[in-house]
Amino acid sequence: MNDAEGPGATPGAFEPRGPEVRHVRRWPWVLTSLTAVALALGSGAVAYEQRGVAAEWRERSETLQTQRDAGIERELLLIEQREQLTRLVRSSEEDVAGLEDRLRALADEKAQAEDTATTVQVERDVFSEVTGRIVAATDALDGCVERLFELQTASVDAFNRSTAGEPVDVAPLNATAAQVTASCNEARNAAANAGAAADRLLAP
Amino acid sequence: MTGRRRGHLRRCLVVVLVSSGLGACVEAPTEPLDDPGASSVVTFEAPDLAAESLRRRAQEVTVRIRSLGCDQLGLGSGFVLPGGVVVTNRHVLIQPRTVTVNSWDGRSLAADVSGVAIDSDLAILRLESSEGLEVAELRSEPIEAGETIHAIGYPDGGPVTVSSGTVLGVVDGSLLGEPADVIRIDATIRPGNSGGPLLDDEGRVVGVVFALETGRGTGLAVPVATLLERLDEAELEVPAGC
Repeated sequence: MNDAEGPGATPGAFEPRGPEVRHVRRWPWVLTSLTAVALALGSGAVAYEQRGVAAEWRERSETLQTQRDAGIERELLLIEQREQLTRLVRSSEEDVAGLEDRLRALADEKAQAEDTATTVQVERDVFSEVTGRIVAATDALDGCVERLFELQTASVDAFNRSTAGEPVDVAPLNATAAQVTASCNEARNAAANAGAAADRLLAP
Repeated sequence: MTGRRRGHLRRCLVVVLVSSGLGACVEAPTEPLDDPGASSVVTFEAPDLAAESLRRRAQEVTVRIRSLGCDQLGLGSGFVLPGGVVVTNRHVLIQPRTVTVNSWDGRSLAADVSGVAIDSDLAILRLESSEGLEVAELRSEPIEAGETIHAIGYPDGGPVTVSSGTVLGVVDGSLLGEPADVIRIDATIRPGNSGGPLLDDEGRVVGVVFALETGRGTGLAVPVATLLERLDEAELEVPAGC
């Protein structure tokens, strides 16, 4: 701007307006300088603080890295333990399966032994019945034979007396003969029953 | 000061302020560090356990039946239901005098005959003690052709066997003396399997094995529906004695 051509200016007159202009032009610089100084100081303080922050972050990073390494190591250990446990479980499971198989085999043997015992028990009952019938038949046969001897003795006695001319009553002889026949028929029936029982035992 | 210089100064101030602000925003770590081991999840592949297998459970619910009759010994299979009830075939119990149930683990348990079905080859026993015995689960849904089944039993009085096959279909039961259709299967059935359970893939009982078609080589089983009707003791009769 040309001051000489401004409104109200008189040629030849001098009006000192410099200081006012200088004042207007200086205060932004002062303000800027102060602000810059303040900011520099603030930035310095922040930078100083951030150095500490960076150190803490670095420390944290190192800690994390250490933990990561420890974690990896722990994971590897866990994997190894898991595999070991898996092997143990498999082995244990095989043992259990083997024991169960053995248990089943023993249970089967026991059940079959019980079958045999039951069969033997049935056979024993049949043998007992057969034996009882044989004993009964034998007793009946003994009775039959005994009565046959009695009949024989009475018959010989009657024959001798008849030969000697003595009177002989044949009625008692006939009665004895009838008893002998009945007794021997009983023995025959008892023997037949015993034979039938033996046949049942031998039947498939 | 010119406008250009003033603008430059403002930009510098803004840059310095923003940089300072950002720098001041970065703080030191304050959160505690977690234990990395706690968050480390390792996938565990557990081995197959026999305790969970269908075969094992099937063997545990199946029992061996020994019936001492008047003049013969009857052997067959059966399975346990809740309440000490054992299901088997009627033809396993002929004039029964003494009935014994053998469990898979070697126990011999005395059983009473609750009754035999009048019109089906089924018989119901009741155990004097059923403590510790595994019980079978009955399947209410009807079986369909093509389904996989497993016949469990003690053929020929020997060890327990699991014979797998499929359902071929159903047969008119009246020809076999049964009140309803019976299940025809292609699983291997032998004498001694009689009374054993027919299981589906989930281990549920779908039928009771009762016959072998010698000509076809197929097995026959009474469906669970018929069994459920006969479990009512009113539908049972006392077997003939000696």
